[in-house]
Amino acid sequence: MAVSAAVGPGRAGSTGKARRARWREGPAGYVFLSPFLLGFMGITAIPMLYSLYLSFTNYELLGQTYDWVGLRNYRELFTNDPQFWHAVQVTVLFAFVAVPLKLAAALGVAMLLNRERRGTGVLRGLFYLPSLIGGSVAVAIIWRAMFDRTGAFNSLLAVFGVEGKPWVNDPDWALETLMLLAIWQFGAPMVIFLAGLKQVPTELYEAAAVDGAGPWRRFRNITLPMLSPVIFFNLVLETINGFQGFTSAFVLSDGTGGPTDSTLMYSLRLYDQAFTEYKMAYASAMAWVFLLAIGLLTVLLFSTGRLWVHYADEEGA
Amino acid sequence: MAGQALSSPPAPAEAGPPPRRTVREQAIAHARRRRRRAAAVRSVVRLVVILAILAVVLYPALWMVGTSFKAPDEVNSNRGLIPEQFWPANYPDGWTALPSVTFGRFFVNSAVIALATVVANCFSCLVAAYAFARLRFPLRGMWFAIMIATLLLPSHVLLVPQYVLFNYFGWINTPLPLIVPKLLATEAFFIFLMVQFMRGIPRELDEAAKIDGCSAYGIFWHVILPLSRPALVTTAIFSFIWTWNDFLTQLVYLSGVENYTIPVGLRMFQDSGGENQIGPMFAMAVLSLLPVFLFFVAFQRLLVQGINTTGLKG
Amino acid sequence: MSPGTPHADPARPAHRHRTRYLALLTAAAVALPLGLTACGGDDDKQSADPNRKIELQVFWWGGPARAENTQKVLDLYTQKHPNVTFKIEQQPNAGYFDKLATRAAGGNAPDIFQLDDGSLAEYAKRNVTLDLTKYVKNNKIDTKDIPKGLIDYGVVDGKNAGIAAAQNTPGMIYDKTVAQQYGLEEPKVGWSWEQMIAWGEQLSQKSGGQVQGIMDPSADYKALWLWLRQQDKELYTPDGKVAVSTEDVTRWFELWVDARKRKATPTADLIHTANTGDVSKQLVVTKQAGASFLWSNQLAELQKSTKNTLGVSAYPGDPKGQFARASLYWAGSRTTKEPDTVADVINFIVNDPDAAKIQGVERGLPSNLKNREIVAPTLSAPEKATVALESELNSKFGKAPPVPPKGHVKLRSELITAAETVQYGKATPQQAAEDFLAKAKAAVSG
Repeated sequence: MAVSAAVGPGRAGSTGKARRARWREGPAGYVFLSPFLLGFMGITAIPMLYSLYLSFTNYELLGQTYDWVGLRNYRELFTNDPQFWHAVQVTVLFAFVAVPLKLAAALGVAMLLNRERRGTGVLRGLFYLPSLIGGSVAVAIIWRAMFDRTGAFNSLLAVFGVEGKPWVNDPDWALETLMLLAIWQFGAPMVIFLAGLKQVPTELYEAAAVDGAGPWRRFRNITLPMLSPVIFFNLVLETINGFQGFTSAFVLSDGTGGPTDSTLMYSLRLYDQAFTEYKMAYASAMAWVFLLAIGLLTVLLFSTGRLWVHYADEEGA
Repeated sequence: MAGQALSSPPAPAEAGPPPRRTVREQAIAHARRRRRRAAAVRSVVRLVVILAILAVVLYPALWMVGTSFKAPDEVNSNRGLIPEQFWPANYPDGWTALPSVTFGRFFVNSAVIALATVVANCFSCLVAAYAFARLRFPLRGMWFAIMIATLLLPSHVLLVPQYVLFNYFGWINTPLPLIVPKLLATEAFFIFLMVQFMRGIPRELDEAAKIDGCSAYGIFWHVILPLSRPALVTTAIFSFIWTWNDFLTQLVYLSGVENYTIPVGLRMFQDSGGENQIGPMFAMAVLSLLPVFLFFVAFQRLLVQGINTTGLKG
Repeated sequence: MSPGTPHADPARPAHRHRTRYLALLTAAAVALPLGLTACGGDDDKQSADPNRKIELQVFWWGGPARAENTQKVLDLYTQKHPNVTFKIEQQPNAGYFDKLATRAAGGNAPDIFQLDDGSLAEYAKRNVTLDLTKYVKNNKIDTKDIPKGLIDYGVVDGKNAGIAAAQNTPGMIYDKTVAQQYGLEEPKVGWSWEQMIAWGEQLSQKSGGQVQGIMDPSADYKALWLWLRQQDKELYTPDGKVAVSTEDVTRWFELWVDARKRKATPTADLIHTANTGDVSKQLVVTKQAGASFLWSNQLAELQKSTKNTLGVSAYPGDPKGQFARASLYWAGSRTTKEPDTVADVINFIVNDPDAAKIQGVERGLPSNLKNREIVAPTLSAPEKATVALESELNSKFGKAPPVPPKGHVKLRSELITAAETVQYGKATPQQAAEDFLAKAKAAVSG
């Protein structure tokens, strides 16, 4: 129900006319959807279902034989694997802090950069640069160099007379440096916000100005509602990405999730189980637990989204 | 910025010496000047804030460039921004690091795959998004939920099954496993992105087109497609950059050094237990940023006002 | 979740499509396991023609120097056997095993590939490697000039799974310049751990804390392993189980807690940066410590990264703890269509004198003793120092242990985590030792 509301108006009328209207669009719908359907059936569905199947076996990567073991992997995961829970804790903490801050920074800077002046394009590119660097393996070296005991961050703190810690090499602070790395890359959601801001018709602003509305009211009553589909998108996707975060954690900790498992994100643990311990079936179980948990969270987001997201294509909105 | 109230009445047309300003007119002029000054101050403050944030945000990038000019024995010990000894040799060293191919080859490979991905994604995700956002058909909700679900499964457990699948198709040792999925709308991120953008386009435009006799295809071509430019531009930018930085799938499916791409090439400099080539690696990393950065600056220009410039309204 | 669609109309196209697809899915699900369990024929009948065109895929990891060397060696082989060509797959270390495992699981393993002692048992026990025993027995792979211990280090479950590409041994790399600067003796083979720690303590004092003693090797599995062997104990039992006891590990951690108290080792965060073994981060190179614990053949590489002069010695303690280790292996794929040629190529790479000259000591000391002499004149100063050390140790090596069992890589990483909890003061040596052993045993027995 929540998802269908997110998809768009299309709630079935039970009258024959509405049903026939839907059927008339049916063929066109499936024509437009055909690449997706082909891709899903041909490329995604089988591997996904196969990994689900494997999660009920004891398949080892490169193993020659394997047997059905039912729910054993799942039981192991929940009752006999403290590192699983640790990884969950690390990941939840990471997502709850990094995602909101990243979105706030993205929206704030997007609004600052929304005017078309000379050089705005370059400015936007410069804010987006961290996202470009972030995907590169060089970022780990940069981040470690900046946030270790003798790094630039501590030099900055020294200016204020604060003695710095070895942040990235300190189990108490390594996760925070990872969060900072994620937040630093706010350029990506910022670009999406910019694109969304561009879609807000300027006559709305002009009309509001004529009516005497100040900048805050314009923001609250025009920008936010018109931008809400995009805000919603960024919220959902950044949340999903936040929970799934792999590459940054992997390169920053050299794949270890260290120091002492302080940056052991869920996906790192999963990768470790699959490719270092060859326990592919166990890793598949982890993957499907993740899908269910984040799926639930996503459904929650979609349901609450109905309350505040305003779509221009809804009748009588 | 629209918002300054018009306050003074038009000047009378008679000739003669300008009348002395009344107190009220003086106050109005005063207020207008103060507002303009306030606006100017706001602009300056805005600029300062932007630059301050930018300085903090860019420091790591500047550090990256600085380090790319450090000599091998300085790379680990000198933590500052500026190298003590300017070492541009990192650039040609990095470029010719491998005996059989130059780094330029990796650039070309990355560019080809990235551009193909951009085109494929833009096309396939747009049509899929149109179906979800605008058309009514049976099971739409179910397919939408499934599409979102594909975002949620960690990809590492799909790596081996997908490899087996692609091997079965006979696509290993070709770039097909990297491109074909993009042609088939497997990147749910972009489908969902475009759905959200499309839902910001008012239905009245669709209705208007329908009245003019457009079918679903017509509406797509005449209404949605032109107005989806911000979404397409965003998709293009992100597709390009993600592909440019994608390591594992490119590693697994491309064989032969001459087919490698930039992410694989960069890790070449990091052989742990082997050679320390941080300087050349940073040099190549800086170089590899340039195309993406330029791509971005070029394309973001297209993020212009959507609805206003088309004149479809009214 | 779907907008209320009407149900139960069997003529609806969507329903028909769904059942048809389910059948397809079931068929695929059945077919996929066959793809996953590599089902190449073990004994493909090879056609009789010895000069038929053969193309072998060769896969290894390494840097540009290794790429160049190995390419030249393979070209040399093609010169001598024109009907055999090679498809080179070489790549950086990162992701190598992901790719190898994926390819092998997908039924597409390369014909010849490189392994190390962390992966040999994993791949051999999972039946991915070609059994080379018969080639070793009938001398198609000539082992008469290769130390027996080195060959035995490639045996898993009684079968030759990999042939040692080169030899190395743990080596402690120390800073000669710094030693001279602060009036300290250079470490020698046979110094005890206590002597080495005292050296570190003095270095720390005399440099006023600038050089923080020596690297703390409590997270280094090689150090633990050698320390055990010096007490006539072992890390693993002959049948591949964890042999070390909680008491031993506790003592090991306590040794270094003590050293830290005496300021003979650096702070925990510095130790952490070096624990991954990455060459560029070693403390002896960043000048934050006077010695680092690595492999003997890494001296040359480390020397490039610092202006100080570096030297190499054995790990502290009785040198009988050290052994001749295969730094890397060449292995074949069980599903290769050309096993005889694969064995011949491996033999060539490891034994041929011209091939040895090309490879130098890039992978380590040549396995073939005769080739070591051939290669000796071509070496740089640091490389000569490495070779000198290994020659000195040759007569002092203890008996080589069996190659580590499955789960070795996990044990290594668990040791790092456990040692670091002690280094950061998050756990006592006893707690960390118990935790480590529990996880290590689980990893190795699984």
